[in-house]
Amino acid sequence: MGRKRKHSEAEAAAPVKDDSAPERPKRTLLGWKDKKEDVEEAKEAAASVSVPGFRNKEKVLVTCSRRISFRYRHLMLNIVSLLPHCKKDSKVEAKSSKGATLNELVELKGSSSCLFFECRKHKDLYMWMVKSPSGPSVKFLVNAVHTMEELKLTGNHLKGSRPLLTFSSNFDKDVHWKLLKEMLTQVFGIPKEHRKSKPYHDHVFAFSIVDDHIWFRNYQISVPHNEADKVARGGLDKMTLVEVGPRFCLNPIKIFGGSFGGPTLYENPFYVSPNQIRALEKRNKAGKFAKKIKAKTRRKMHELSNPLEPDEFADMWKDDE
Amino acid sequence: MSFEDDDFVEDDEMNMIDEDEAASDSEAESLSDSDEEITEKLAEPTKTAVYNRDGLLDKLQDISWPEDIDWTHKLTVEIEQGQQAAVDVNDDLAREMAFYTQALVGTRQAFEKLQEMGLPFLRPGDYYAEMVKSDTHMEKVKSKLLYEKRQMEEAEERRKARDNKKMAKEVQSQKMKERAKQKKDEIESVKKWRKQRQQSGFSEKGAGELDLEFGNGKSFQRGGGGGKKRPGVSPGDRSGGKGKTASRMNNKKREFRDSKFGHGGRKGLSKQNTAETTNDFKGGFRGGKAGGNKRQKR
Repeated sequence: MGRKRKHSEAEAAAPVKDDSAPERPKRTLLGWKDKKEDVEEAKEAAASVSVPGFRNKEKVLVTCSRRISFRYRHLMLNIVSLLPHCKKDSKVEAKSSKGATLNELVELKGSSSCLFFECRKHKDLYMWMVKSPSGPSVKFLVNAVHTMEELKLTGNHLKGSRPLLTFSSNFDKDVHWKLLKEMLTQVFGIPKEHRKSKPYHDHVFAFSIVDDHIWFRNYQISVPHNEADKVARGGLDKMTLVEVGPRFCLNPIKIFGGSFGGPTLYENPFYVSPNQIRALEKRNKAGKFAKKIKAKTRRKMHELSNPLEPDEFADMWKDDE
Repeated sequence: MSFEDDDFVEDDEMNMIDEDEAASDSEAESLSDSDEEITEKLAEPTKTAVYNRDGLLDKLQDISWPEDIDWTHKLTVEIEQGQQAAVDVNDDLAREMAFYTQALVGTRQAFEKLQEMGLPFLRPGDYYAEMVKSDTHMEKVKSKLLYEKRQMEEAEERRKARDNKKMAKEVQSQKMKERAKQKKDEIESVKKWRKQRQQSGFSEKGAGELDLEFGNGKSFQRGGGGGKKRPGVSPGDRSGGKGKTASRMNNKKREFRDSKFGHGGRKGLSKQNTAETTNDFKGGFRGGKAGGNKRQKR
């Protein structure tokens, strides 16, 4: 482990270890659990072959609805720049934002998933994360959006480098979080040998669940190092993260069994739509005026029913004129 | 949560709205209206929310990748959260710290794994490629940071200058007081000495009894207690000190002009006759006058 090993040498190492293997029959892939070397070799062979045919062929289609506001459009563009395996498409008409048309679009572009940003009333942003063709789809309400262009977010990283994904442990607490975690991994994780991906890992995504919302953060990793595959001694302790952005917070509304529709598998019991919140606030404010009128009439009635006793000094200055 | 039927779903949202009104009227006061527009949480979750666990599990099986693929495909790290309940959503700093530590811990674990695998994962210093934020943008970021730093420094400096001024003022007032006191003391002592002399009848031996402190004799000299700065100049010399001979020459001319026209020079009478010049043909004293007036007017 102390030796420097470049990426190409990892594959060269596998045939080196193979020298011991030919004596054994083809049992390596099934793995002898007690022989650690064989298991490792199997993994290395797997790495170079990428497990009997597994290739991450994820392609994400990113679109938005018309009448999207500038902040959300920038958020979408930021996400497009973060994911090299995505394809940005033109805006879709409002009427066609349900079901069939979008499914067709996804099929047409040959993507395996879709991120659709829908902006309602120029105020609320809903994000659909959909796995095509028959996969589950999730509708989120997006809050707390800060784009990469904000000057307070000072970090920077390679465009297209594969991120490390960190999830907080409460993603494993419940089934719907597990499903969401899997979908997030597949959508936000860049495929391994994607042609637009860059080699090093210099940024990290952080997904956490706080207050039943999923918070997303993107940090640049800066650690002192001299070689590409080894951190300098004690460097891990000097590692700092600088925020790159964007930042947003997702509130899951519903999970559907099909793409862009289908049977509802999960509904968030705590979700209150922003329209309702606004209606509530208005109602509170409306209540104020009605209350005032009521209070006035009440006062009048009270005065009528309890007349004041005549004041002795009321006529004091009447005679003076 | 109970097992709900799938086709129950359609009117669910409408039901939810009605129930919400009832439930959330009482919650109106507890609207958490923070800057981040976090939606309100209901106290009791609506009972009719769908939660189809088996369906979710099925879908999860459908979409998930095979179990035995290499970790480098996924690159996921799960972080245990110690005191998860302690993170208050509305406390911005604590929340961001929690996210930061989560990412930090995750990165450390991931780096250790990557280092074991021996794959290159750190960007070398000479690897230049397109970054996700353009160079112009980073310039703006840098200038903003520098600006902030400069503001802070200037504020610091201003505060220090103000404090220093205060200090200096105090010190100065102290010194002034001291000097005044000293002056008074000295005058007093002279008076005393005079009185003493008077009383003792102006005896001749009084000169030796002068045991007053004059402060090294400096305080009575011109130029104050600071000492003579220009020893070549005798006290009472108003000429401004050592000058060159050339300027002394000019002084003579100066003196002549001053006496003729008063200090400040002649005004506009260059072509008019005075009493002396009426009878002077061909100019008269040209040596100092000719051209000199014009020069001095400037």
